[in-house]
Amino acid sequence: MTPARFIETRKNAWARLDALVRQAGRRGTAGLSSAELHELMRLYPGVAVDVARARMYGIDTRTQERINALAVAAHGLLYRRPSSRPGHAIWRFVMFDYPALFRRLLPYVALAITLFVVTGLGCYFTVRLKPSLAYRFVPEAVDMVDNNPGLSSDDMIERFRAMPNAPLAAGVITNNISVAFFAFALGITMGLGTCYVILMNAMMLAGFAAHFVNNDLGFQFYSCITAHGVLEIMAILIAAGAGLRLGMSVAVPGRISRVASLRAGAKDAVLLVLGTLPMFVVAGIAEGFITPSHLPGEMKIVFGVVLGFTAIAYLLLAGRMRRA
Amino acid sequence: MQDFDLIETPENVELRQPLAGIGTRFLAGLIDNLLIGSVMLVVAALAGLASYGTITDIVETGNWANAWLLAVLLVILFLVYWGYFVFFELYTNGQSPGKKHMKIRVVKEGGGAITFTDVMIRNLLRGVDAIGGYFVAGACMFISRKVQRLGDLAAGTVIVSENTTDYTAMRATAGRITWDQPITPEAMEATGLTPQEYGAVMSYWWRRPELTVEARRRVLPKLLRPIVRRVGVTLPGDSLESLESFVFTTYIRLAAGGQAPEEVRPEVAPIDVHPAAAADSASANPTLADAAPAEAAPVDPAPAKPDLAEPGPADAPAADAPKEPGSEPGPAENAP
Repeated sequence: MTPARFIETRKNAWARLDALVRQAGRRGTAGLSSAELHELMRLYPGVAVDVARARMYGIDTRTQERINALAVAAHGLLYRRPSSRPGHAIWRFVMFDYPALFRRLLPYVALAITLFVVTGLGCYFTVRLKPSLAYRFVPEAVDMVDNNPGLSSDDMIERFRAMPNAPLAAGVITNNISVAFFAFALGITMGLGTCYVILMNAMMLAGFAAHFVNNDLGFQFYSCITAHGVLEIMAILIAAGAGLRLGMSVAVPGRISRVASLRAGAKDAVLLVLGTLPMFVVAGIAEGFITPSHLPGEMKIVFGVVLGFTAIAYLLLAGRMRRA
Repeated sequence: MQDFDLIETPENVELRQPLAGIGTRFLAGLIDNLLIGSVMLVVAALAGLASYGTITDIVETGNWANAWLLAVLLVILFLVYWGYFVFFELYTNGQSPGKKHMKIRVVKEGGGAITFTDVMIRNLLRGVDAIGGYFVAGACMFISRKVQRLGDLAAGTVIVSENTTDYTAMRATAGRITWDQPITPEAMEATGLTPQEYGAVMSYWWRRPELTVEARRRVLPKLLRPIVRRVGVTLPGDSLESLESFVFTTYIRLAAGGQAPEEVRPEVAPIDVHPAAAADSASANPTLADAAPAEAAPVDPAPAKPDLAEPGPADAPAADAPKEPGSEPGPAENAP
């Protein structure tokens, strides 16, 4: 067959496939009728082979490019992943896949928790033993305590009441999720950026706690942060665990290439961080509506602890039945 | 030189997707970020209005409508900031408005559409890529083989240029030769060229509008030399003008079925040829007159009837010819 013959015999197929691809346009295969879809499936393999044949015959490069472009377009139409119903996918993810993923990646989360706790305890006892150090760690806390003699937990909660509930919750949720996203993304620096986020949070929290306890305001402090804080810190540490997973995949790729390892790690990690979103939403609502409320401090502490245990139970238990 | 991402199809054919360059991607990003910025500015201004002097009022007077409005605006602000790219890349199959404008698209490396996870990965890592005004992204794209930023590497995505993939853009500039009108065997035969030679000549003609006069002057003689030697045609002269006019009348018009209207012709005349420059290059380059048909004739016993069916090794020089234009430093992209 001569190149000219080749073009002559195939040009109708190209024109037809071209018309189909155009018709599908941005709607994808949904833009085609069933008969047209079958036609597309029938035409595409031939045109894909034409790409190779056109190269073999050495026909002019523009026509080669066009056949190639046509095959790429048809390939893109046909080999698109089927889209499942988003509602169903989210339900499955929350109820089964996420807790399972969490349990699989528990070592990374445990590492994040360990870093947080060790730093936190270190910072806490440092400030407890040498209260003046609080001026370095947490100047805000010092400000708050020193400028308000006789601080009661109600006084502290007034700070939360300065903002109406709904915007407070919205602001806190969006801010915390941003922090979680950064804790994850910074993991690509082989985990160093994530460690920084963990350490900063640990020092801040422990410094505050120690300074308040130093001034006999421990109960006021805990009643003020526990309602939302337990779940919030858990979620941040899970996000940090995702960052560490990402970082580890870059730092220690094992026997696969670094990029392949990064790809696998990122897939795990991004899902781990996305699963924290509901926790941040719940924690934010608690911070917006429970923390500023006039409930007694003890109840707020109990509420926060119960919330934390509920989350732990969900993460460790949900989806186990399915496998059995 | 354009980079490609290769798609291995189940049919065992390699398809090639041209990759978008750093500059194009930067411009697309600029457009997107300007859009994000202006939307956020408007929402933030509204939030400012909603909360202006009223935060304490709300608490005291219980103006809850305002409070909820503020909450909603804060959430919208967050969604625009983190969700803009996610939304557009998911729902328009990899094209944010900026990318659409620059005719580029996010696809899975090795072909295929991107998934939700891919989109989340590449856009959450955007935060790191954006450090230093996308300096990290730029450096990474510079180093990586497929012009990928960190988010692309982690998600396994590439940005392809649809400037060439969009075949509607591939309008013929040479008369009426278009997709719907491929070359007939008769026309091909009438030109007396082998497919390789034909391909070379046509490629030159397609790309001619994008090439500088200097590039054309350098390439065309090289391109025609093997043809002259084999076929034994007589060239009308060795100026670019006469050579292009020869190519047009002898090959291009024939290929178009002999119907190319005269109006296409004026395009043939090279634009802005400085006489001195023309004279310069004429004396500096070995001209076609040297590769005279006389000495070439014995090489091919039947110059007038090239065998179209068997492009043998004798055609090797001609087969090399199409590569010549590509190696020129002329503009690599297609003209819009």
